[in-house]
Amino acid sequence: MIYLIDHQDSFTYNLAHLLENFDEVYVSNYFKINNSNLKKSSMVVFSPGPGEPKNYPESNIIYKQLKGKKKLLGICLGFQLILFNENGIITEQKNIYHGFQSKINISKDSLLFKHTKKLTVGRYHSLKLKEPFYSKEMNITMRCANTKVAMAIEDHKNKIFGFQFHPDSFLTNNGKQLIKKIISA
Amino acid sequence: MNNKEYLISLFESDKPLIIYKANQGYYIYTDFSDKKIVTKSNINTFIKKIFSPRKLRNKFFDGYIGFFGYQTCCELIGIKIPKQKNNSLSKSIFYKPQTVIKMNKKIFIKSLVPNFKSLKNLKKTHKKFYYENKFNVNISLNQYSTIFRKFTKKIKKGETYQIKICQKYRNKSKIDSVKYFWKLMEVNSSPESFLIRDKNFSIVSCSPETLFYKHKQKIFTKPIAGTLKKSSHLSKRKAKMFFKKNIKENKEHNMIVDMERNDLSKICKSGTVKISKLKYVEEYKDLYHYVSKINGKLKEKIKTIDIIKAMMPGGSVIGCPKINTLNLLNHLEKDSRNIFTGSFGYIKSNYDMRFNIIIRSLLNYKGINEISVASGIILGSKAKKEYEENHIKAKSLLDIFKE
Repeated sequence: MIYLIDHQDSFTYNLAHLLENFDEVYVSNYFKINNSNLKKSSMVVFSPGPGEPKNYPESNIIYKQLKGKKKLLGICLGFQLILFNENGIITEQKNIYHGFQSKINISKDSLLFKHTKKLTVGRYHSLKLKEPFYSKEMNITMRCANTKVAMAIEDHKNKIFGFQFHPDSFLTNNGKQLIKKIISA
Repeated sequence: MNNKEYLISLFESDKPLIIYKANQGYYIYTDFSDKKIVTKSNINTFIKKIFSPRKLRNKFFDGYIGFFGYQTCCELIGIKIPKQKNNSLSKSIFYKPQTVIKMNKKIFIKSLVPNFKSLKNLKKTHKKFYYENKFNVNISLNQYSTIFRKFTKKIKKGETYQIKICQKYRNKSKIDSVKYFWKLMEVNSSPESFLIRDKNFSIVSCSPETLFYKHKQKIFTKPIAGTLKKSSHLSKRKAKMFFKKNIKENKEHNMIVDMERNDLSKICKSGTVKISKLKYVEEYKDLYHYVSKINGKLKEKIKTIDIIKAMMPGGSVIGCPKINTLNLLNHLEKDSRNIFTGSFGYIKSNYDMRFNIIIRSLLNYKGINEISVASGIILGSKAKKEYEENHIKAKSLLDIFKE
């Protein structure tokens, strides 16, 4: 089972349908966690949502508890939430991307997407990771082709992954393939 | 009395009636045997009561037609609205018709009332109508610009990605709503237009937007995002080019498409939600719209109430993400939206449904006339332009008062 924690976003169920291609998906609000299902799940996904990571203490606690124990995936706000817990700073960006289709580059460090260099993706974010960002185990593996803003992270030791963009958006080409890679990681 | 004479006397009477635009022509519903004020607490009983396994003769319309006001839509999904200026009109009202008239080139009438043409209940109205031609706007350009700046900051912080601000034009008039409706239809017969005339209020809308259409297990929605003022040298093809090249319009539209996919995904089988028509242009009297259509197949055991809660209030007139944006909106807007951005439509006894989004609407109640429109704030939009867009949207409704 995949547990999808919803931060009351209007894109969460697009993500749920995408994940349902691979496993049963359980969705709940971040303030209404079903603990027995959370225990049962093999992977936990932090959904997109409004605001910034520090607005969601419940989800931050879950991240800290599950780190290293379950596979974790964060999308958009969820991606920022992971970085926030890894001592990253989340900050406003100059150019804002809402409903924007853009090109991103995949770095050589990516173990998941070795054979791909570029992706076309849909983005909905006001905030970004402030850099430099240092982590022993977590690598930034994708960046915006124009602004170089961080777009994906991989931590293979703890099995933690994240996308700043939306694999669930119709603006992302082949989002299903991206999720498949995470599932099989 | 022939059908045409009957229809004319019906229009000129005081009798409550509803007119709803169909694919070709109009449906007129009257002789209501039941009127239900629907609230959060009685909606489940109301929906249960609609169901009827029997099939009526001649495929007669069996069900309720009416509207969910904005407040009901919010309450159903657990959103509280703080105190606002509010008229006392019931938030949601549904009617059960006994007579249905189809009007295109010919007039077809089906009625369960034996003497529905009887002159007794078709007396000419004694009401006095009057039309003021000046309107007061509840938000000035200055105020609008302030709101605009405030929300631009919130967008930069990621609290909302897009938000729609409602504006109202008010005056003191008492209108002959049927006459007004037909005048409006001459100039702007949008596909989701409707009229409700009841004893103490009337609602007229030239809404172009279908919130959803549900037939058996199939459902579709047709969100609109993107408006362009028409002019003599701007053809539909040129309008399409404009939308295609305009980054701001595209971003706004993309967001709505993903949001509507999401709302359908809540109630549809996995993998069945598909964009069937992406970004096409529809032409109206004063403007062009940028439209998409999204289909899905409902989950087997989905309840009618779940469909309503997933889809209402329609996302394209709220902003995104829905919940947080609704909360921001409700704290900012001092006037109740009343009917505006609620939904009008019907629920049949087999639970097939059609609902629109009530926009470009007029509410005539207690001698006050209220025309409501809204436009969106996203990054890259300009306060003055959005303010003017509101006026374009209200124009065909306002112009009739000048005649």
